[in-house]
Amino acid sequence: MAICTGCSLLCEDIVAALENGAFSHVKNLCRKGHSHFQAAFTERTVPMIDGEKVDLDRAIAKAAEILKSAKSPLLYGWSNSTLEAQAAGIRLAEKLGATIDDTSSFCQGILTERILSGKIPTCTLDDVRNYADTTIFWGSDPSSSHPRHLSRFSYYPRGEKRQKSYEEERTCIAVDVRKSATAKLCSNYYFRVAPGGDAQFMEAILAVLEGKIPKVGDKKKMIELSSVLKKTEWGAIFPGLGMIYSLQDNMELFERLLAKLNEITTFKVIPMVGHYNMRGFNELMLEKTGFINRVSFKDGAVAHGPEHSALAAAKTCDTALVIGSDPLSALPFGTARALARQPLIAIDPRRSLTTDAAKVVIPSAISGLEAGGTAVRMDGVTIKFEPIIGTLLLSDEQIITRIMEAI
Amino acid sequence: MASEVAVTIVTVRDIFQDEAGRKSRFSDEYKNLSALIILDKQDLAQLGAKDGQKLLVKNDVGSVIVAARTSEDDAHPGLAFMYNSPWSNQLVSDDVCDGSIPGNKRIKATLSIAEGNVTQISELQARMQS
Ligand code: SF4
Repeated sequence: MAICTGCSLLCEDIVAALENGAFSHVKNLCRKGHSHFQAAFTERTVPMIDGEKVDLDRAIAKAAEILKSAKSPLLYGWSNSTLEAQAAGIRLAEKLGATIDDTSSFCQGILTERILSGKIPTCTLDDVRNYADTTIFWGSDPSSSHPRHLSRFSYYPRGEKRQKSYEEERTCIAVDVRKSATAKLCSNYYFRVAPGGDAQFMEAILAVLEGKIPKVGDKKKMIELSSVLKKTEWGAIFPGLGMIYSLQDNMELFERLLAKLNEITTFKVIPMVGHYNMRGFNELMLEKTGFINRVSFKDGAVAHGPEHSALAAAKTCDTALVIGSDPLSALPFGTARALARQPLIAIDPRRSLTTDAAKVVIPSAISGLEAGGTAVRMDGVTIKFEPIIGTLLLSDEQIITRIMEAI
Repeated sequence: MASEVAVTIVTVRDIFQDEAGRKSRFSDEYKNLSALIILDKQDLAQLGAKDGQKLLVKNDVGSVIVAARTSEDDAHPGLAFMYNSPWSNQLVSDDVCDGSIPGNKRIKATLSIAEGNVTQISELQARMQS
């Protein structure tokens, strides 16, 4: 069996047969996973300096030289790297006195931090499959982002206490600004919120749970929702960026809602982390530095704060090493442009906007396919994997170690 | 009919666009699935535009030309959707709320009928280097 690193579900049941350097047969991959596997054979990077092909040793030496002479380097990405590579990255950041951050900094970090500190109750996806009779997709759309979420864990499968069919056993609720693919599945229990209206909707749920009249939403539907929540034996909430960006610094309200729900019954939360090992980076950083992300090691001290977020550091750094990430595609234009103007070092298996703009490109093996290692699933379960394709390419961990040695 | 229509754009995900992006960020498939804006019928009618019409989307941060797609959702005039991509990111402010969260979910922009083709990825790359 192979593993898919296409998203943070880290599906472990993938059957993949290789013939003449291509997959002749694959089983259990979703559409997203399938494209992730097929991508192993297209648009691969080669070592480059200033757009010219070079040998790998020169690219690594150049990367080390740039980092060594930098005064305020940023090491960014990490969510698509193994725990072993992340650990090497944290050591490199320490050695350089660099800022280190990952995508969780402007994504699920705000929620993951509360999960890891125990402020918000959580569980595993296997618990969801075994016990959940109500699942809430709040500002998340797993049918697009984590396509096997519903079939492996949260809606369709039978579980220890959910032996009947999903129509009888499970209620699925969607709260979203649009009728997403997942919201369509939730039919009767789709609640549309206005952009930024999630806090108001939470207040309305709190009101109906306390027997008051809600200020927003269709009153009849809200009362029906309250009765579904009260009758729930074991519930799970899967917040996506829709909820997180909408609530912003009002996460206490979500904590209040959870406290109320847990007075009545059981409700757990699993953040819909996107990249396959974002949670791993957060856990490792917490263990090594006391913070889940946004850390600077300048002058040998650990400093943490918004000024050390990748978004802020992109504008103040004098070089950036980007690993397994394409910030020039994914970040706001101003941040992407600030990064593009720096001497960038891109470590990536495949061509991207970031590798196109990079001064140094170092090709890497694809984790899960060409490199083994360890990662943490979105629910905190650690998963080990072995490569299924032989390659001469170095893993992220080996590249970071080589750079460190060269420095 | 109006020459300009104001909308709030929310960025969202789509599995088909995600798949195309994983295959290649530089393909026509990815461009065609990314350089688009999903609009309510009423907003399209106000502009006198049809499905596929090229629209200039602009705000204080930047601008892009993308294709209009008619929404299949319940009515949502004034609310538009774009998929996360370098095209939608042209319009996202990097002024952050608490140092962490960019404004991808509430982008204020205006729409007008555009001359010419959708913005190419090479043009977006050139803007970053400029
Ligand atoms: S759900 Fe995620 S991990 Fe599972 S096959 Fe699809 S992309 Fe891969």
